[in-house]
Amino acid sequence: MNQSDSQSFIDSLSSKFNNIVNEFDTLKINVESSQWTETMSILKNDFGLTYFSWLSAIDWENEVSVGDPPKEPVNPHFEIICCLSESIEGNLVLVSTKIEKENASIDSLVSIFAGSNWHEREAYEMFGIDFVNHPNLTKIYLPDGYEGNPMLKSFELISREVKPWPGEVDVEGMPEDGKKDEGES
Amino acid sequence: MDTTIDPNNMPHVSDASVSVEIETEDMTLNIGPQHPSTHGVLRLVAKVDGEKISSVEPVLGYMHRGYEKLAEVRTYPQITTLVNRIDWVSGFANEIPFIAATEKLMEIEVPERAQHIRLILTEMARIASHFVFNGAYALEIGALSPMFLAMEDRERVLDLIESVTGGRFHPNFNRIGGVKPAAGAGPTTKKDIQDLPAGFYEETKIVMEKVLEAVERFENLVGGNEVFKARTQNVGIISKEMCEDYGVSGPILRASGVKFDLRTQTNFLPYDKFDFEIPIGENGDCYDRWYVRLIEMRESARIILQAIDSMPSGSLQAKVPKVIKVPKGQSYVRTENPKGEMGFHVISEGGLGPYRLKIRTPSFSNISILPELLEGQLLPDLIAIMGSLDFVLGDVDR
Repeated sequence: MNQSDSQSFIDSLSSKFNNIVNEFDTLKINVESSQWTETMSILKNDFGLTYFSWLSAIDWENEVSVGDPPKEPVNPHFEIICCLSESIEGNLVLVSTKIEKENASIDSLVSIFAGSNWHEREAYEMFGIDFVNHPNLTKIYLPDGYEGNPMLKSFELISREVKPWPGEVDVEGMPEDGKKDEGES
Repeated sequence: MDTTIDPNNMPHVSDASVSVEIETEDMTLNIGPQHPSTHGVLRLVAKVDGEKISSVEPVLGYMHRGYEKLAEVRTYPQITTLVNRIDWVSGFANEIPFIAATEKLMEIEVPERAQHIRLILTEMARIASHFVFNGAYALEIGALSPMFLAMEDRERVLDLIESVTGGRFHPNFNRIGGVKPAAGAGPTTKKDIQDLPAGFYEETKIVMEKVLEAVERFENLVGGNEVFKARTQNVGIISKEMCEDYGVSGPILRASGVKFDLRTQTNFLPYDKFDFEIPIGENGDCYDRWYVRLIEMRESARIILQAIDSMPSGSLQAKVPKVIKVPKGQSYVRTENPKGEMGFHVISEGGLGPYRLKIRTPSFSNISILPELLEGQLLPDLIAIMGSLDFVLGDVDR
């Protein structure tokens, strides 16, 4: 794919969508969740993005039990990302939308791209997002009786949930711990 | 309907002149998770009506290791070790998209020599992966010898990968900004960094010639076999539209007649400097998928032979800070893994590790067509069709 081709592709997209971000060679279209399925139909039929690559979600949350929180405080929400591409020139876009975390739900894309079936099932079990009109919204990886949505930022890694060991854990404190203590005092 | 049947005048099913309507009940057949043809721990719950498959429900998750969650508590250099183990048949090729996405966020220009070494090792991983497919697929169809021949040939390629990286399956050789100093090189000082091991070029030339010979041998031995043809030709046809709908990629997509190869469509590695062909199939059946992979091995060997002849000099590492901190941003990089499109969406919030890492693996999308593809097929064809998709369960479950 050469540069001018991709530029003309971006230009044609921006005539239809007004919120396009192109950072680090990654083209992202932000849309409202109410226009989710409509956007996909337009991209598939009018822009030749017929190749469904993947769909997933991000849990934006300030209070996290794994990893680091976002640098600047965010308004807690789910971001749903769907990746479409075309199979001739290789143009690729990420389509992104925001939904509320309370009773999170969004329309299913199965009627447009049959391949989104498994990806939506994965997002359903990992984040607890309800995909409306999905033909078979059941767990895909996790065991049937499993409770909780592991990819939520509030969900702790199991190995971090172990019962604390009684008494002195280490004979000597770790060198880093010592430094931190000095710095704070 | 008259329910009384005269036992002396029973119509026989083989008699074509009478049409017999026998009501049969669907039988549920469980295949896997421990079954050699499932390439790991895939479980299929099939409903069969005689020999015909009426529906198939794949059950996943027996190999789910939660890499996306794990990546949120690991630093960027640690994640390279993890991604090695996603598709363990071609460990090296998995590292590239993650490293490339991270480098894009950090805006690092990777030295040309490092990019060439990455390209050579990626193509070697592709050859090794396709050797496994060629051996295993023939074995599933019922030919035993190709497996032994393929394993012997693959071992030579793995020896080459090991001589450079120190690992046969999990090289963990990429570093953000370049590659690690090679394992087999001689003594070194800080100024004089280690590079490819002594005799690597000569050895590679010998092995690649053997790969080209092996491709020819497989073409005659397996491709010319009437039984193999009968079992694979016009079996499990996948249309172009079905591939696009389900996100099927790699050799399967190309076997269905779509000339789509990320090696020429993106610039993750300098493939544009080399001359190679992209094989495509006509029918999209099992035979085409086998043939496309076979020809890809030949083309990969050609790329490697060209690459070692035009090896640029220079350093192996760009200047990177000692502690890798990736600036805030999102980037998605996809590459042509031996199994198809592999992509990493890195979402960084400026920390030591990603805020979220979405891993798009080829095998997950590739086998998501199984319920639609297998419906109405014959049970003996199930093994031939599944084998032709060439999936690895680590790549499906992540």
